[in-house]
Amino acid sequence: MLKLIQIEFLKLRRRTFVWIMMFSALIMPFLAYLLFKYAWDTGGDPVQFYKWSAFGLTLFIVLPVVLGILSTMLMYNENQYDMLKQLWIVPVSKMRYFFSKFFVVLIYSVCFMLVTAVGSVIFSILLGDIAFDWQNVLFLIRKCLEIGVITAFAMLPILAIATTQNGYILPVAITLIYAFLGSIIVSINMYIHPLSSMAVIVARNGDIPGLNNTQVISIPLAFLSIFIWGIVSVLLANVALARRK
Amino acid sequence: MTKYTIETKQLTKIYKDQKAVNNVNIHVKKGRIYGLLGRNGAGKTTIMKMILGLTSTSSGEVDVFGKNIKGREKQVYPRIGAIIETPGFYPNLTGTENLNIFAKLRGTSAPNAVKNALEIVGLPYKDKKLFGEYSLGMKQRLGIANAILHDPELLILDEPTNGLDPIGIAEVRDFIKKLSVERGKTILISSHILTEISLLADDIGIIDNGILLEENSMEELKRKNGKYILLQVSDAAKASLILERQFGLKSYSVKDDHTLQIYNNSLDMASVNKALILGDVSVISSQLCNDTLEDYFRKITGGDGIA
Repeated sequence: MLKLIQIEFLKLRRRTFVWIMMFSALIMPFLAYLLFKYAWDTGGDPVQFYKWSAFGLTLFIVLPVVLGILSTMLMYNENQYDMLKQLWIVPVSKMRYFFSKFFVVLIYSVCFMLVTAVGSVIFSILLGDIAFDWQNVLFLIRKCLEIGVITAFAMLPILAIATTQNGYILPVAITLIYAFLGSIIVSINMYIHPLSSMAVIVARNGDIPGLNNTQVISIPLAFLSIFIWGIVSVLLANVALARRK
Repeated sequence: MTKYTIETKQLTKIYKDQKAVNNVNIHVKKGRIYGLLGRNGAGKTTIMKMILGLTSTSSGEVDVFGKNIKGREKQVYPRIGAIIETPGFYPNLTGTENLNIFAKLRGTSAPNAVKNALEIVGLPYKDKKLFGEYSLGMKQRLGIANAILHDPELLILDEPTNGLDPIGIAEVRDFIKKLSVERGKTILISSHILTEISLLADDIGIIDNGILLEENSMEELKRKNGKYILLQVSDAAKASLILERQFGLKSYSVKDDHTLQIYNNSLDMASVNKALILGDVSVISSQLCNDTLEDYFRKITGGDGIA
């Protein structure tokens, strides 16, 4: 499995867009910096700043969209250039193949959120009115890691859809709908959509401003939602890959 | 132990209402080159895919290395190298990088395996050219390099010379021949180009509309389709007896009740005619024929489509 994951990273060589996307991890920290520099005031509370730089749109839109595009890119070459039959006769197990892609998404997601965390800390310091505090930084890193890991699982449906498609357009379009639905559905029912379930888990202690849930909090239900979507996605991927010969 | 590396038994593939492959029995002998010849869409690729387990069979069996391949794919695949249709690789990587990936996936331990494979097909090692910039011929060569990378016992090559220039075709033909002769590889190769198959294959299977029309050794086919005398007589059985007794003829075949095909061109036709008439056999016609393999293939497949 480790070999397959290494190979997945080798395949990303010269795909500069994958690494450019990593820079989008700094978009929200930078926008938060501008927002608090020229419009609002943090009142010295770093969590107020982190809410905008790492937890808000990053959690619901930026990271899911980036991971959706990455998932599509990971599946694109082999589907587009009819490479799968060459892989199957190596032989490469279909499920190992799928999970190697998933682990790349997971690693990328964690790295993305770590970049977001580092960016948030740097921009919060540049802002001037937030004092550097290890406790807050560790809180930020812990939450970013949680988001990074759980979002990768929540994006399994997109990875599965990408296995069924030869092109970019449909999986990317579905990614956008999926991400926006996640942020909309969270106010209706938090346990239908994996991304809103992820928000429940991340904000379980009510320690992220703006993500204070008004509905009944059930962490097992949130995990169950992500789990069920994950299982369905794996089954879909298995069927799709079995048909791709 | 079976002498066949590949043996199919009543192999059939049905797509919806269409029989793409119909009860095909092919026999690929160990250490020989088997050419599967047929027009585009005749069913060659489907047969190869079924042999590799890449597509399911509607009915019939595929034995590879003496055993049914079903459920044994993982044990068998490392012993096979294959190109099916146009080989695809990662366009953002060079040829060497692409082969390194496949070498890693296969766990190829031989040092210089990638370099050797590239050398055999005439591609440069550690070249900076990306696969996306390759010509069709280079792509095909890289596909062949990938197929031979892990030194497999059996090669399954689906139209491997597609897109190659004439010199490239000759080079590929030479090294496929070498792989069989010098290294004892068993090779199943498909093509719609008769000359390619006739120059390369030891055994040949002719397929048309999913049906295997003929399976024979190339030697036998050439013998059958060289120069011959076509004799039309009133009684072919009686004529054959006369020819055997009076002329010691053994190389002939009786096509029907009135037609004989004689492969000994040195026979004196005047004497033959005289002997037959004296033996109470009327000679309707006798003519010297010179069929080429191409004529033969056209005849049995019923038309054009094989170059």
